[in-house]
Amino acid sequence: MMSAKRQVTLTVNGSQSQVPAALHDTLLTVLRDQMQLTAAKRGCNQGVCGACTVVVDDRTVRACLSLAQNCEHASISTLEGLIEQAPMLALQRAFAHNGAFQCGFCTPGMLISANALLQQNPSPDAGAIRAALSGNLCRCTGYTKIVTAVQEAAAALHAKVVTP
Amino acid sequence: MLQGLYHPNTVDEAIALLAQDPQARPMAGGASLVAMLNAGVIEPAALVSLASIEEIKGISVMPDGRIRIGAFTRHRETAEYALPLGAAAAVRQAASLIANVTVRNMGTIGGAIAFADPGLDYPPALVASGAEVEIASPFARRVVPAREFFVDWYLTALEPGELVVAVVLPRPGEGAQGVYIKHARVAGDYATASVAACRLGDGSVSVAVGACGPIPIANDAANTLLSADRSGAAITEAGALLERQADPLDDVRGSAEYRRQLIPRLLLRAIRSLEATEGEKP
Repeated sequence: MMSAKRQVTLTVNGSQSQVPAALHDTLLTVLRDQMQLTAAKRGCNQGVCGACTVVVDDRTVRACLSLAQNCEHASISTLEGLIEQAPMLALQRAFAHNGAFQCGFCTPGMLISANALLQQNPSPDAGAIRAALSGNLCRCTGYTKIVTAVQEAAAALHAKVVTP
Repeated sequence: MLQGLYHPNTVDEAIALLAQDPQARPMAGGASLVAMLNAGVIEPAALVSLASIEEIKGISVMPDGRIRIGAFTRHRETAEYALPLGAAAAVRQAASLIANVTVRNMGTIGGAIAFADPGLDYPPALVASGAEVEIASPFARRVVPAREFFVDWYLTALEPGELVVAVVLPRPGEGAQGVYIKHARVAGDYATASVAACRLGDGSVSVAVGACGPIPIANDAANTLLSADRSGAAITEAGALLERQADPLDDVRGSAEYRRQLIPRLLLRAIRSLEATEGEKP
């Protein structure tokens, strides 16, 4: 249904902006199509694949299951805004070092979920990593390299070898 | 007719909005509703968000010891609830097995049970533990036992214009415990079949089967049997009683026949797992 768009004030990666959004427009649609923040991907648009995972008020959420108009008083972080944080830097390096992707479509969602895990549990074992990433589907890697990369990032953070 | 997104601050305001326009839809966490919007299954011109209603958020112990989970309590909060739950420990375990971390951050117990997908984890746990559902209507509040709340495929005791306000769990009795056993193809999928088994405050056993028909399967004769006898033979007999009541689907998660075969096997695991909790703190 084409309902009227209205101006919505969103706080994304620390800065406020006004963007037009219809009632049924999801946060994912607005981030990608209005704000050109394209790290979050539209995969299934049903909340299943995890490629659109972003952080809202310090919790990971599916951007495709969040209505933009319902996010007005929230603090939203996308991968673009988290990139300078130590866990995310360590994760990026470890993903690259381990070849923890092929097509890369799932990678932004994987990084967001892994970053949330490392903030909560700095020393996760393989089981905890698999559980934390179970909502992020990858159709290339078979997951093993992703789990290895998250473990390597955790170890690097412990050794404090990650500097921005 | 309402247009757009509404943010009532109280249950009464929400009920009044929904009464104004029967086409408006209430929205809790959005995990199911927005997926249906994206798929074009529903196209409501107005949504009534329940996110600003403080009285339906969080978990509290009532003066009589029962535990009230507000309808707008996320699965994560229920999964992480640290105080004793007695038989309703099965509800906490069910919450911890819903989908994945991110969906548990979004979905709410009220939204989930109002949607009443038969593959959900909550319904068998709520039925087995003897939980109740508090419902607000335009005229009054009413309470329905979980066993009567689930009516048919995606159909509940909710009348048009009513809202789930809370789930009320029984007072955790001495020795009461509950477990939830889920069989799914991969972690986070809907259950192919599931069983909740509870030892209630009076020492009796209560079980319910999920994902094997339109509503959770409970059977008084099976409960009576298991309360007196937890031998392999008694579990087989109780499993057969439950299986006879099943009306499972053939779908991508498993054939109807496969689901029928799962029932006695999951029941055995659930009862043995419940026995292993004996002597543990509720």
